[in-house]
Amino acid sequence: MSLLKRASFLFWELLQELSDESAYRRHLAYHGRRHSPEEWRRFSDQRLQAKYVRPKCC
Amino acid sequence: MRRLIGHLFWAAVSVGAAFFLAGIALERGEPVNSMWLVLAATCTYLVGYRFYAKFIAAKVMALNNDRATPAERLRNGHDYEPTNKWILFGHHFAAIAGPGPLVGPTLAAQFGYLPGTLWLIIGAVLGGAVQDFVILFCSMRRDGKTLGQMAREEIGKTGGIAALLTVLFIMIILLAVVALVVVNALKGSPWGTFTIAATMPIAIFMGLYLRYWRPGKVLEVSLIGFALVVLSIFGGQWVAESPALAPWFTLGGMSLAVAVIIYGFFASALPVWLLLAPRDYLSTFVKLGVVLMLGVGILFVRPELQLPAFTRFTDGTGPIFAGKIFPFCFITIACGAISGFHSLISSGTTPKMIAKEWHAWPVGYGSMLLESFVGIMAMIAACVLQPGVYFAVNSPAGIVGTTPEAATATITSWGFPVTVGEMEQLARDVGEHTLFYRTGGAPSLALGMAHIFATGAGGRAILGFWYHFAIMFEALFILTIIDAGTRVGRFMLQDLLGHLHKPLGRTSWMPGVIGASAAVVLAWGYFLIQGVRDPLGGINSLWPLFGIANQLLAAIALCVATTILIKMHRARYMWITCLPLAWLVVVTFTAGWQKIFSPEPRVGFLAQADHLETALRSGQIAAAKVTEIQALIFNARLDATVCGIFLFLVALILADSIRVWVGILRGTREAKVTEAPFVPSRLRPEEI
Repeated sequence: MSLLKRASFLFWELLQELSDESAYRRHLAYHGRRHSPEEWRRFSDQRLQAKYVRPKCC
Repeated sequence: MRRLIGHLFWAAVSVGAAFFLAGIALERGEPVNSMWLVLAATCTYLVGYRFYAKFIAAKVMALNNDRATPAERLRNGHDYEPTNKWILFGHHFAAIAGPGPLVGPTLAAQFGYLPGTLWLIIGAVLGGAVQDFVILFCSMRRDGKTLGQMAREEIGKTGGIAALLTVLFIMIILLAVVALVVVNALKGSPWGTFTIAATMPIAIFMGLYLRYWRPGKVLEVSLIGFALVVLSIFGGQWVAESPALAPWFTLGGMSLAVAVIIYGFFASALPVWLLLAPRDYLSTFVKLGVVLMLGVGILFVRPELQLPAFTRFTDGTGPIFAGKIFPFCFITIACGAISGFHSLISSGTTPKMIAKEWHAWPVGYGSMLLESFVGIMAMIAACVLQPGVYFAVNSPAGIVGTTPEAATATITSWGFPVTVGEMEQLARDVGEHTLFYRTGGAPSLALGMAHIFATGAGGRAILGFWYHFAIMFEALFILTIIDAGTRVGRFMLQDLLGHLHKPLGRTSWMPGVIGASAAVVLAWGYFLIQGVRDPLGGINSLWPLFGIANQLLAAIALCVATTILIKMHRARYMWITCLPLAWLVVVTFTAGWQKIFSPEPRVGFLAQADHLETALRSGQIAAAKVTEIQALIFNARLDATVCGIFLFLVALILADSIRVWVGILRGTREAKVTEAPFVPSRLRPEEI
């Protein structure tokens, strides 16, 4: 049961990582800021700018 | 006691690997169940992971968990962040998994199921996973440097520039070939075309939702996007059955190619949050979900393979692409066995997120094994089709004949019986007008996947839904590669042009953005149009070119890896990277040479140009076709030139690397290690 719980937790964390939601949480914590639409847009712009200068795999 | 059980377990897995591999290799005459392939692959991967990869990690790389990784030392809350190894495993796998391991094995199934399967398993264990693992290690020890940076620093300036140019050229060919796969999948299919067209407004809706209505709710909007995409599949069926709407979405190859080119341009020039990013989120989740579904489906259905172990086309006369089993099987399957593109990912985001050095073992080596398994699943999906159906779908009209009757007669004469009635019934079942000449691999893969899904749930009644679900899945992430790739190509080009005229290098200067986007789109668009016009289906010339290019990039990565191993005083282990490197050099140079100089017109580009020129000069070509033939002649010579440039660039890097290796081994050159200095790790387990 605990294995299943751990696997579910990891799966959920993976989804959060893939969706950049974890990265956003880290960004807020690191800069000591609170969530707001402007903050998300600032984070998202930086994140996506860095992400899409790298080629995607075939 | 525990130790003894461990030894017994690994002995059983090793015996199992040998038994199942021998089973699929020696089985003749009777249909083979797909579980043999699944078990052969799983046992071999486990043995490779537990023994070979662990040996590399411990003895060659000397991974050390007491050494702080860049994620710990340079932690900044953005890209440098220590991450749980299983989350990073999933993240890395999602980044390396593209259409390559799905399409390549589907095309290579023309040789039968055995050659491709063995190459997928052995190539991944001894080559692909080793490359990904070693490059990840090298980048991790160098604060997450890219392959280009490492090539420049470890080999020299020539190596660095050659690596940059190779990546740019490969991207152009890659974008053209994956765009061709989408075009061929949607040709004459209103259902498919509507579904894929609908993903664009859905992605824009997601972008606006995320930007203005519910900022930060990526998972929420992805779920809504997925529901809308599934609805669009049902909408596509309705459109296809509507006499008024169906003609609007029934497009030929050229119209679709132009549409994809226009899409690529806008996706590259528009703000990334509006179209590219939301589509990418959606496609990542759909990709992981479908791969999981396919795995569960194969385990649940356990289908029998209908294609034989070997077909008659090992002699090089295959209808899907021409060329003998050696070297073309190993070129056709790049991703899934060994892919140079992975080295760009292994030296990108992932090394900046590794918490402990030993995590590189599951993340670098393990993720590639999983990608190889995706290739095995694609091979199974292709081989569960009746061989006659498989060849009828994948063969171009230029080879099998321009009418369904001629095509079925040709394919039946090869020993793979199929009738027009069977093909028509199958097309009706999946809601298509026809399934003949649907080259590119995507439709036959979708048919195989639909067969597995429908057997597992819903039966033949919803075969059409599953077929279009599979087409949507393939097209969705291929289009993500097209828009992201065009954007990256634009940045690379602007970077180069910035040296000539400064404003051109500014990514915010609109004329520069538009000009560079247009140049990149036109470059891959040219090859796409060439593929659409090619009477041999386009895949015959473009897919091998892409395979050669991708594997040559792997050769560059392995040159860098070998150089670093030698500089680390691990020369006695350099065979680990030299073994796959030697294989790749032999395979790619043989394939490249044959693609340029083979006297067989279907194989050699120059022979094809000469053949067409002779026909033109002798007056065998109708006046209306002269311009088209002249374009084909030019294209064949252009392909030969591109192939020659690839070979030249890699020969240059190889020669430069060997010069460095010999210098270090003879003691005439300093073995300067450029890795970051040792800093003890203070990362606590609860922080990961």
